[in-house]
Amino acid sequence: MEFKGKTPLLFLALSFGVLLLFLLNLWYGSVLISWGDVLLSLTGGETATSNSIIVIQYRLPQAITALSVGAALGLSGLFLQTLFNNPLAGPSVLGISSGASFGVALVVLTGSFAGFDLLMPGLVYGKFIMVAAALIGSFAVLLIIIFVSSRIANIVVVLIIGIMIGYAINAMVGVLQFFSRSMELQAYVLWGLGSFSKTTLSQSLVLSASIGLLAVISFRFPNALNIFLLGKNYARSMGINTKKLQLSVLIISGILISLATAFTGPIAFLGLAIPHIARNLFNTSNHRILLPAVILLGAFVALLCNLVAKLPGYDTSLPINAVTSMIGAPIVIWAIVKRSKIKQN
Amino acid sequence: MKKVLKIDNLTTAYFVGSSKERVLHKNISTEIRQGELICILGLNGTGKSTLIRTLLGMQKKASGKVFYDGNSIDEISIKELSRLVSVVLTDKIDDAFLTANELVATARYSFGNMSGKLNNKDLSIIDNALKLTKTEHLKKKVFSQLSDGEKQRILIARAMAQDTPLIMLDEPAAFIDSPGKIGIMEMLKDLSTKENKTILMTTHDIESALRYADIFWILGKNGEFETGTKTEIIKKGLISKFFNSGDVVFNSENSRFEKKN
Repeated sequence: MEFKGKTPLLFLALSFGVLLLFLLNLWYGSVLISWGDVLLSLTGGETATSNSIIVIQYRLPQAITALSVGAALGLSGLFLQTLFNNPLAGPSVLGISSGASFGVALVVLTGSFAGFDLLMPGLVYGKFIMVAAALIGSFAVLLIIIFVSSRIANIVVVLIIGIMIGYAINAMVGVLQFFSRSMELQAYVLWGLGSFSKTTLSQSLVLSASIGLLAVISFRFPNALNIFLLGKNYARSMGINTKKLQLSVLIISGILISLATAFTGPIAFLGLAIPHIARNLFNTSNHRILLPAVILLGAFVALLCNLVAKLPGYDTSLPINAVTSMIGAPIVIWAIVKRSKIKQN
Repeated sequence: MKKVLKIDNLTTAYFVGSSKERVLHKNISTEIRQGELICILGLNGTGKSTLIRTLLGMQKKASGKVFYDGNSIDEISIKELSRLVSVVLTDKIDDAFLTANELVATARYSFGNMSGKLNNKDLSIIDNALKLTKTEHLKKKVFSQLSDGEKQRILIARAMAQDTPLIMLDEPAAFIDSPGKIGIMEMLKDLSTKENKTILMTTHDIESALRYADIFWILGKNGEFETGTKTEIIKKGLISKFFNSGDVVFNSENSRFEKKN
């Protein structure tokens, strides 16, 4: 009934697009490596060591991270927009990414007081500590949100509290910034700009496996989420335990956002924009289609942004947030204007 | 005949937070038999919606018992309740892509695997609900783009697809033009007589309620609760007592409100 028309074709095209962009991400960069050498590096064949290091240790983890974080953010954005029945809901509204920022700010900006300097060259665990701090920070906020939502039935109140927690935490980060050294400040600001290139190969694999597992779990919910489109009262009247559903969906989105933010820094707009693109592209609100659609589209757009960010002819790449915001903001505007037009008719 | 709903000493109230704010109606006791069409009448603010929401367990009751098909609402799960009563509410559904057919289909999800597809039985129940509500031609349209009357029919189709003995509707005919209103009332009457559905609905429109309903519940401003058939309530002068307003009075001869001369 639902997979008729152009839907299968769109899925096929998207899957192909994701594969293509993934390979392009391995091939394209400041150092020119031929397709043949990329393939040899991946399969462990005979090629220059430098090629293999660049492909396996830099470009591959970056591509895997972009792919899985894109999917994670798209998925969590869809969950939150349906849960809050709000087109502007997204990963940033629950204060979870602010929690991650606070964790990172705490270890980076106060490092010199505490006697360890994360920016010290050669500190092997520096990266690991930042990831751990971000995870702890975001999980702490997630726990608060879950605690609040288990006590307060009104989901809008939960949304407002999430936004307020975000403000409060950002203020605390501001205070930390005020008292920190310029080098530490720069490191923190860089983290805040977001990047898919902070992960090692093993980190990127752990990240993608965890996100993959959560995606599989999320495929238990499409029908309940479809019912939720009618609002909480209707959902309840159709036998849905709304409180339990809200909690499950909050926990899954929270963990997805925490993981993504911990490994890449806060990535703007993807979580907000991807569900809108998916709805408009597939012309549906049916979660049986939207769940796989946001996963593929999230991966697609994240890989595309990563490719755009690698400026041709330069050694360095643009901060990923600059690219995602420039692409994401117009999309959200377009989707919301379109939505309001539909309502008027 | 089978009792679909039994209300025993129910007291409804407005609640703000967990503290009791204002008692609306005290000690309501009545019952509903299968196939009846019941209209809840009352002026604005008398608590018609609150009564419906309380019966559905969406709002706490101050005291008393509510039984669906012999099961106390306090002792059955949300899922069991969803097999006994379906609803048409005034809640706004404004998703920009949800089609009428998808909306009706949501009624069938909890009958199967929540992640699975609908089976043929579900699909034929959906088709039948669309046929009974004469909305087959609307099924591919986006729900939020339909007219108010069409929306109401689709929402009733959804309730039919849930396949419950009892359907509760909150103001199903408000904001609809007169022909549409009559159409909805005729349809509900048909569902009660031909499909043996029990219908409990609130309405502002006393005259059309008198044309179609079997039983009336009248809610007064000061916590009164009266019930009876059309003949009973007219004989007791209840319509005049609760709804006469200044010069405009109820004429029991033709069941209409008229200006007194």
